[in-house]
Amino acid sequence: MTTLTRQDLNFGQVVADILCEFLEVAIHLILYVREVYPSGIFQKRKKYNVPVQMSCHPELNQYIQDTLHCVKPLIEKNEAEKVVVVIMDREHRPVERFVFEISQPPLLSISSETLLSHVEQLLRAVILKISVCDAVLDNNPPGCTFTVLVYTRESATRNMEKVQVIKDFPWIVADEQEVLMQEPRLIPLKTMTSDIVKMQLYVEERAQKGQRNAA
Amino acid sequence: MDDLYLDNIDEYVNDQNKIVTYKWLSLTLGVHVNTAKQMLYHYLEQRRKEKSGATLHATYLVSGKCLENGSMCHKVSVVREEKLEDIKSKLDMTVSIHVYSIQKSELKDSGPLYSTDYDAVKENLKNCNKYSAIRCAAAVPVSSGQLQRAQEKVLAAAPDTEGSKPGLNDHMAAASKISVKQPKGIMGMFSSKATPKSEEYSKEVKTEQKDDASPAEGAKTRPSSKADALSKFFGKPADKNAATDKPDKNIKEEVEGALTSLSAVSKTQSHSSPEHKQSIKEELLKKSSAVKGDSKDTGNKTKRLEQSDSEDEKGESQKTKRRRIKQPQPDSSDDEVIPDSPPVPEPQTQSLENEVKKEPVSHQEILEGKRRKRRRVLKSKTFLDDEGCMVTEKGYESESYSESEDDFKASSYPSEDSVSLKQSLGKREEEKKLKEKGQKKAPAAANKATKQATIFGFFQKK
Repeated sequence: MTTLTRQDLNFGQVVADILCEFLEVAIHLILYVREVYPSGIFQKRKKYNVPVQMSCHPELNQYIQDTLHCVKPLIEKNEAEKVVVVIMDREHRPVERFVFEISQPPLLSISSETLLSHVEQLLRAVILKISVCDAVLDNNPPGCTFTVLVYTRESATRNMEKVQVIKDFPWIVADEQEVLMQEPRLIPLKTMTSDIVKMQLYVEERAQKGQRNAA
Repeated sequence: MDDLYLDNIDEYVNDQNKIVTYKWLSLTLGVHVNTAKQMLYHYLEQRRKEKSGATLHATYLVSGKCLENGSMCHKVSVVREEKLEDIKSKLDMTVSIHVYSIQKSELKDSGPLYSTDYDAVKENLKNCNKYSAIRCAAAVPVSSGQLQRAQEKVLAAAPDTEGSKPGLNDHMAAASKISVKQPKGIMGMFSSKATPKSEEYSKEVKTEQKDDASPAEGAKTRPSSKADALSKFFGKPADKNAATDKPDKNIKEEVEGALTSLSAVSKTQSHSSPEHKQSIKEELLKKSSAVKGDSKDTGNKTKRLEQSDSEDEKGESQKTKRRRIKQPQPDSSDDEVIPDSPPVPEPQTQSLENEVKKEPVSHQEILEGKRRKRRRVLKSKTFLDDEGCMVTEKGYESESYSESEDDFKASSYPSEDSVSLKQSLGKREEEKKLKEKGQKKAPAAANKATKQATIFGFFQKK
């Protein structure tokens, strides 16, 4: 049993890599299951030894990759509290928010091989839960778009604004309209606990999706 | 049996929103698979009678015999409830129908079915068939000594046979995958795993056992049975190919001839209704992998030969779509012939791909008799087609490279490559790409030799 601390940046990077890979798969899957984009652009790929749907559209893929590339440093330093995939209707009001709450224990103790295969198993379970989430959610109105929000500390926000990790890919502070949802309903999807990361996935859903809410 | 299991299933399906497959249920509750199937059936009946709130979706496994193109084949499919009657009517004789899974959500594709079983099977790997109904007395785990010997044999045989194997798998899997990868209707829930009575490829049998619900892999087992017969066809072209470049065209015809006979096999997989063809074509365009890049075209070619009448109906309206399909063809039709065409999609091992790349076979080699080789590189091309739609295609492209990786030598070869390619392949696309590469390499080397010239050129323009 080796005990590593957060200062051991190598390990922090490994965890951040795992999480970012997972988030990429999860975002693609959410876009597929919630029909944000037509299913024709998705193809079956393999991740964690199970089939998942990933998009083939180059610009969409690039966007998601760039997004996660910027989020990765935050996860490395354990500054990202939540990563949220918001699905918005035509009026740019959120109808659904898939919230990934991430927390990493400050003191990590890892054992040998079993750790990563265990984490893989847990992530597989989360993926499966996302695949069947349409049973507990209402259908979205047509013409939805999506965006990714990161909840983090103010210092990190300032850093992100100062240092553009990727050129021409700025992060801005989200406005209230995108963050707050009217009449939200909470639907928990999955909780996963492991030695290296704790993650909770739940969905906040607007009670009336089809209606145009009065301002 | 007491009715406690009904409550159990109810809890799994409604409270936990799980997908309950019969395999998962049998492993979870520790009952024989047939019992599990009956449990699911009773639960479904009960719920349907009650007509209580939550809608349940069920999938069924249907297997039966059907006659296609003069040969009887045994088809096994996982279908959605809505399609059940439809599929049943297509079978000549239905051998078995049973509930495959029950879930609350309306699954968009069959991936989650596989995921559900994966962990349950993994936990019970040593005795995952404890409750299963399939038995074979001869199937016992090999001893470690035997295993070692087998591995050595495989390593020794790999360089010889891998050339033919991937080629076979491609063509076999090609047409079958075409039907498998349709976006609506047939795709996903409906996986036809036709298993003819003749022997099956051991490798693919194993994958089939593991990935019961996975359509793509299931589809492969069927064509694999013809592997032995067709290896003869592909063995010959490989030799001829080495001789000159001219036979390429002859070989193509031979391959086409081989494939027309293949089409009898492949058509069992293919969509029977015409309306799926369009979606298939779209699907073919959007989905791209090396294999498909190669073999879908052969599959398409043979289909075009055989089904030209049915396709003509849609011919005019599909003209634009057909044009798209033709484009990749020039790249890969030659590649069919080369035994080391790239291997099948993701589920197959990556190692095979690497092995194939290590041993590029090319007529270039023979022509020039030098250390130039052609290797196949997976390239992703994104382009706007006529309608302004963005199309991304991944395909293996033949790329010239010299063993010694010498730039100097590289500069002299590319032009030869493109010329000889013109002769043998006569395809514009490939030429273009190679020319581009040739041009890239040529200036690279040219710069070294004539650096002064370019600088002066700059000044002269002023």
